[in-house]
Amino acid sequence: MSLKEELESEQVAHLDLSGYCQTVTGTAVSDALNLMRQNRSNVCLVLDGDQLIGIFTERDIVRKVALHQELLDRPVDEIMTADPFAISCESSAAEALWLMHDKHIRNLPVLAEDGSIAGDMTYRSVIQYLAARYPIEVINRPPQPAQFPRKVEGG
Amino acid sequence: MSTNNIPLELKLNRKDFVSDQTVRWCPGCGDYAILAQVQKVLPTIGVPKENIVFISGIGCSSRFPYYMNTYGIHSIHGRAPTLATGLAITNPDLSVWVVTGDGDGLSIGGNHFIHAIRRNVDLNILLFNNRIYGLTKGQYSPTSPRGKVTKSSPMGSLDNPINPISLALAADATFVARALDADTKHLGEAFYEASQHKGTSLVEIYQNCVIFNPTEWESISDRRNRAETLLYLKHGEPMIFGKNRDKGVMLDGFNPIVVELGSGITEDDLLVHDETSKELAFILSSMSFPEFPVPVGVIRRVVRPTYTEGLLQQIKEAQDIKGPGDLYTLYTSADLWTISEHDEPQTAQSGELSQDVNEQYVDDLEQEPVETTFIQDLMVENTLADLKPKPPITVDADTSLEKAIRQMNTHNIGCLLITDDKDRLIGIFTERDVLMRVTGLVDDLAAADVGDYMTADPVALTADLPIAQALHEMSVHGFRHLPLVDSEYHPEGIISFRDVINHMKASFTDN
Repeated sequence: MSLKEELESEQVAHLDLSGYCQTVTGTAVSDALNLMRQNRSNVCLVLDGDQLIGIFTERDIVRKVALHQELLDRPVDEIMTADPFAISCESSAAEALWLMHDKHIRNLPVLAEDGSIAGDMTYRSVIQYLAARYPIEVINRPPQPAQFPRKVEGG
Repeated sequence: MSTNNIPLELKLNRKDFVSDQTVRWCPGCGDYAILAQVQKVLPTIGVPKENIVFISGIGCSSRFPYYMNTYGIHSIHGRAPTLATGLAITNPDLSVWVVTGDGDGLSIGGNHFIHAIRRNVDLNILLFNNRIYGLTKGQYSPTSPRGKVTKSSPMGSLDNPINPISLALAADATFVARALDADTKHLGEAFYEASQHKGTSLVEIYQNCVIFNPTEWESISDRRNRAETLLYLKHGEPMIFGKNRDKGVMLDGFNPIVVELGSGITEDDLLVHDETSKELAFILSSMSFPEFPVPVGVIRRVVRPTYTEGLLQQIKEAQDIKGPGDLYTLYTSADLWTISEHDEPQTAQSGELSQDVNEQYVDDLEQEPVETTFIQDLMVENTLADLKPKPPITVDADTSLEKAIRQMNTHNIGCLLITDDKDRLIGIFTERDVLMRVTGLVDDLAAADVGDYMTADPVALTADLPIAQALHEMSVHGFRHLPLVDSEYHPEGIISFRDVINHMKASFTDN
C-alpha cells in the first residue's frame, strides 16, 4: 500500500490531534494569549457553548495584534477567524491534509459526530504519523547529521 | 537594549548533551531514537549536567556514553550495574544511568542486574532489548524467542527467553516501565518518569536491530496497527486499547483476557491500572503479543528506601559510636606483603583459523533485505535541494522587534533569520517567539532588539541532506522551520513541512 492509499484509508481521528487549547466567546485577546502560552500551544479554538465559532492562532497574533497591543483588551471574537474550516473525525487523513494544503491553513479543527471538538489537525499530526510509520528513515538518525554512518555495522 | 525577559538562570537544552563523537551505529538503528529522546529529556529532569553519568557494559547499546556530552564510563561486560552502584552510593547527588542490552544485561550481567534492582540503588537502567546479539553479528540472545534461527542456532534456539520485566519484578523492582524506540514521545515520558524515581528504575525498550533482527518488533511497532498492538498504561485508568478504543483487558480468575466493549461489557468491568500492585505488575509482564496487546508505560512504581539511604544511616550510626574512621589506620592494621618482580609472561602462540568455511551456509544465514517503498526511497534519496527551498529573509540582531514583525507581515512569512556582520546565521525569530515572548510582554517594540528574543544558534541543515533529515528535526525536535546554510554558514533557504508536502504531492501524481 502506498502512502497515498494509506493516508486515504486512515481516519483523521487516528492521528495525534492534541496540542490545542480552547476558550469561550467573549474572552479577552490577552487571556487567550496567556492560555496559549501556558499550554505551549499555537492555536486557541473559540467556542460558543459546544459549538466551534472561531479559531485564533499565533499567525493572528503576529499579523494583527503584535503591532497593535491596544487590541489585547478586546474580545478575541474581533480578531479570530470566524467560521473556520473544520472536518469530521470520520474523514480520511488524506482529505484533511489536502484541505489544509489547498486552503493554506495550518490548523484544522476536527469535529466529532455531535459537533463537539475532537481535536486539531496540524502538519505536526502528519509529521508524527510519518515518523512513526517510517522510524528507520526518520527517527533513527544521529544527533548531528554529519555523524551519519556511511555503511552498516558501524561498530 | 531590553533584557527584561531574558532568564538569568542558565538553561540547558538538547545540544548541551550532544557529544562530538562519530556515532558508530548502523544507519537506521533504533539506538538513535533512544539517544535522541535521552538528550531531549535530560535538560528537563532538574539535574545539573555535571551530576549526570552514563555507565555501560559491552555491546552496541553500550557505546552510548561516547555520544552523551556528560560524564560516562564504557565499562566491563555485564558489570555496568556494579560500577554504577559504587558511584551512586559514593555520591548520592548524581543521576546515574546504566545503559545495557539484552545480552550484556541479562546474560553475562544477569546477576548484577537483579542485585542492583533488589538493593534499590538509585539508578536508571535502560535495557535496550532487540532480542539478538548485534555487535557480534547476529547470535541468539537471552531474550530471543524459542526456535529463533540465528547464526549460532541454525536449527532454532532451544532456550526459553527471559522476560526482563518479570525478572525485575522477581527482584522486587520499585520502578519498571516499558517503551518502544519508534514511539518517541512516549519513550521520552518513560525516561522522564524513570529519572524522577528514587531507587532503581528499569526501562525496557523494544529496540529495532535493523541489520540482524529487523522484523522482531515489526508486528508490534507498525504505526498503522499500534493502537491495536500496544496497551498504554495509565495509573488509575481502565485498560482500554484499539483504534476505536473498543477493546479492553479483564480478569478471568487469575488470568487476563481481552474483551470487546459493548454487548454487556463496559469500562467498569475492565482492569484498572494500579502502579503499586505487584500482583498486577506480574500479570502485565506475562501478557505477550499476539495473544495480548503489549503493555507499555509505567508498569510498577512504589516508594521504598534506597540502598544509599540505608548505607549512609549505618555509617552515621557506626561513627556515632566509634567516631570517624581513619584510612591509614585501617590500611596498616592488617598483614602486608611485598610482591617480588617476576618474569614477563610468555607470548601466547596464535592458532590458524579454519579455512573450511561453507560459504553457502553463511550466505543462507543472511537476512533477506527488507523491501522499501517509493516513499521511503524518496525520503532518503531526495535531498532538501529538491524541495526548492524559498530564499530566506534575513535581518541583523539589532533590528527592532517592531521592524522585524513588520518584515514578517510584509513578506507574509512565519520566520526571519538573524545574521551577523559576515552574513552568517546566528538566530531564528518565528511567530512562536512573538507568541511566547513578545506580545503583551514587551511594551516598546521599537526599543527592543530582535537579537534578544530570537532563538540563538538554531539547528541548520545543508541542502545536500536527505528529506528524512528535515523530517527528523521536525518530528523528534519539534521544529517547524529549518534554515539551510552553506559551508560558511550563510543562510540559503528556509524549509517547512509544507515544502515537504508539496514535493510529496508532486511525487504522488507522478506515480
